[in-house]
Amino acid sequence: MKTQFLLAKANDNELATRGECGGAVSALFKYLLDQELVDGVLTLTRGDDVYDGVPTFLEDSEDIVETCGSLHCAPTMFGDLISKQLSDLRLAVSVKPCDAMAIRELEKRHQIDSKAIYKIGLNCGGTVMPITARKMIEMFYDVDPQDVVAEEIDKGKFIIELKDGTHKAVEIDELEEKGFGRRGNCQRCELKIPRNADLACGNWGAEPGWTFIEVVTEKGRELVENAHKNGYIEVKTPSEKAITIREKIEGIMIKLARKFQDKYLEEDYPLPENWDEYWNRCIKCFACRDVCPLCYCKECDLEKEFYSSENEIIPDPITFQGVRLSHMSFSCVNCGQCEDVCPMEIPLARIYHRMQKKYRDETGFIAGVSEELPPLYSPEKG
Amino acid sequence: MIKPLNKGVKHMLKIAHTICPSCSVGCGVNLIIKNQEAVGTYPYKRHPVNQGKNCEKGRNSFQILNENRLQNPLIRKNGLEQARWDETLDTIVSQIKKYSPQEIGIVASGNCTNQEYETLKKFAESLGVKNIGYNAGTFPYFNFQSATLDDVESSRTILIVGDVLKENPLLGRRVILARENGAEIISIDISANTLTGINSDEHILIESTSQLTEQVGKILPKLDESSTVLIKELESREEFENILQILQESSARILPVLKDCNSRGAMNYLPALDEDDLKELLEKVKLLYVVGDDPASHLAESMKNLEFIITQGPSVTETVLLSDVVLPGTCWAEKSGTFTSTTGKTQKISKILDAPGDAKDDVTIMVELAEKMGLELIK
Repeated sequence: MKTQFLLAKANDNELATRGECGGAVSALFKYLLDQELVDGVLTLTRGDDVYDGVPTFLEDSEDIVETCGSLHCAPTMFGDLISKQLSDLRLAVSVKPCDAMAIRELEKRHQIDSKAIYKIGLNCGGTVMPITARKMIEMFYDVDPQDVVAEEIDKGKFIIELKDGTHKAVEIDELEEKGFGRRGNCQRCELKIPRNADLACGNWGAEPGWTFIEVVTEKGRELVENAHKNGYIEVKTPSEKAITIREKIEGIMIKLARKFQDKYLEEDYPLPENWDEYWNRCIKCFACRDVCPLCYCKECDLEKEFYSSENEIIPDPITFQGVRLSHMSFSCVNCGQCEDVCPMEIPLARIYHRMQKKYRDETGFIAGVSEELPPLYSPEKG
Repeated sequence: MIKPLNKGVKHMLKIAHTICPSCSVGCGVNLIIKNQEAVGTYPYKRHPVNQGKNCEKGRNSFQILNENRLQNPLIRKNGLEQARWDETLDTIVSQIKKYSPQEIGIVASGNCTNQEYETLKKFAESLGVKNIGYNAGTFPYFNFQSATLDDVESSRTILIVGDVLKENPLLGRRVILARENGAEIISIDISANTLTGINSDEHILIESTSQLTEQVGKILPKLDESSTVLIKELESREEFENILQILQESSARILPVLKDCNSRGAMNYLPALDEDDLKELLEKVKLLYVVGDDPASHLAESMKNLEFIITQGPSVTETVLLSDVVLPGTCWAEKSGTFTSTTGKTQKISKILDAPGDAKDDVTIMVELAEKMGLELIK
């Protein structure tokens, strides 16, 4: 279908003021719940503070207002939460590009029914680990992290708002040079506008108080049209200039991501002896496997007896990480969850992303984006 | 596969913060609650202890909530039989009144909340019971300022007694991070091959823990104020005390790695009982009140002469099976309170789930029992 750009905002006053960029996404959720087109909405809400994003499932449209606003210190993953816990429901989900990538791979593997889910994509420049965010706010902003009431990423800066209403901003480049800022995976991620969702929403190119929406699928188009028809959102056409600005921002971010890919996956890629050291730490806790949104087998090869030896202290990297890598790396969407949850700080996502990239260069298959399954896919190997 | 829309039926999926009950490190973990049942865990990345990383035990901790749960009070008639709360408490009251305070013993585990220890302590004091304590393994009471996790991570030298990396991975992680920053890691163990040993710069193999003091003495010159010593549970209380004494000669920080999620909190309220103390207590008393612990799993022989056993806890244990009265208590996610981690950090836990069946909050059980006894719990 023809791509379509539009600007939208919520007609509901409270959603429009409390929501990000005019609250269009919140209004779409409200519409879907009110019209009983979905059983529930899966989205993020703020937990204890701005560094605490908690996945929240809502079944009542009155509650939507509680989910308003965006959180950049919440590196969550919705893919397996949906496939494992919510697969029997009709859902609307707010998705970062990595969520959308995981969901697409799960749909292809029949773990999520694409007909039962509305994917409302959110443009994403990347997320910051909560504890990293707190540390960098202390160090670079000279602010007590508890005094921060809101944060945003805009024009290459990570901006914080304090209790007294003042703002402080630091260039993300500067933060990342010192090892802070966005997660490594996010720095390398090329998918900034989730065109693998039904809609891709964000503030790039949008006027203040409006959400810029790129309609991606027919389902997305119908949703926007009907929400408009039913009075939930106000829409207008963005200017050519707005479209150009958005494209430009996306282009810059993709270029930057490729630079980071070169840095992390080639120039600074760990040496074989570094990997030996990393594998020596492995406690075989299966956290990487269990958090991987794409690993869905009920019976896992890694737990087969012939892959482990008696009295082993660390697993053989060939039959543990090697087997997992051979099953999953082609499909890796670079969400980085495996690395996030590894108790032993093994930089797993680096090797997976590097393998997927090589595979992509050879076959053209882009995990999480391509419509079809990876070439050579077998259900035996994710 | 997809159910038709059914307005009014709530599916209720909730992600809720809690503290992992599996060991003493005090990691945060999110529980996934679906239709009032814990069905999994989800990374809690905001938590400062572990930043969303959990070991296998931690990720599986939700299973404790669903396994072998006690749902009703039980009284031994022809075997253990379901009973009502008032009848059960009455039975306990009449039994307790038969014995002098010297004949009564109270044993808790390291897994109760601080509020439970406090209430239990008051209960014992009101009753005049002196035979009380918690199962502390070989760690004695201590009150020195122990090292924090950030201290471990910023150390220049770390001496590790025991396999911390394997058994307490999220403490082990801080060792790994320190090593990445250039710290020297020295480990001592009676086992030649340990995960901690593999990840150390020097691994010292000893034949028995009796050689520990000597070995720690040798390493002493390397330790200064930028060093941390991690000590896992040893064979005896004396060994731990001896090491502490040697370490007093250095300015190194010390972190004893206690066993249970609130062992560190327990020692602020109740006497720390090692295996011998526990055995002595069990053999000395006639009526035993167990809270959350399972002495029968390792000291059944010493329990043979007990005349009456009351066990309060969330699940079926060997001690429950030996008991005369059983009080179904709550699992950690079913109550509010605090746990104190091995580093001395006290963290809140909140009630996320209802207890199953007729099970009750543990503090409530103790308070109701005290009321029935006519005791006033000293404020």
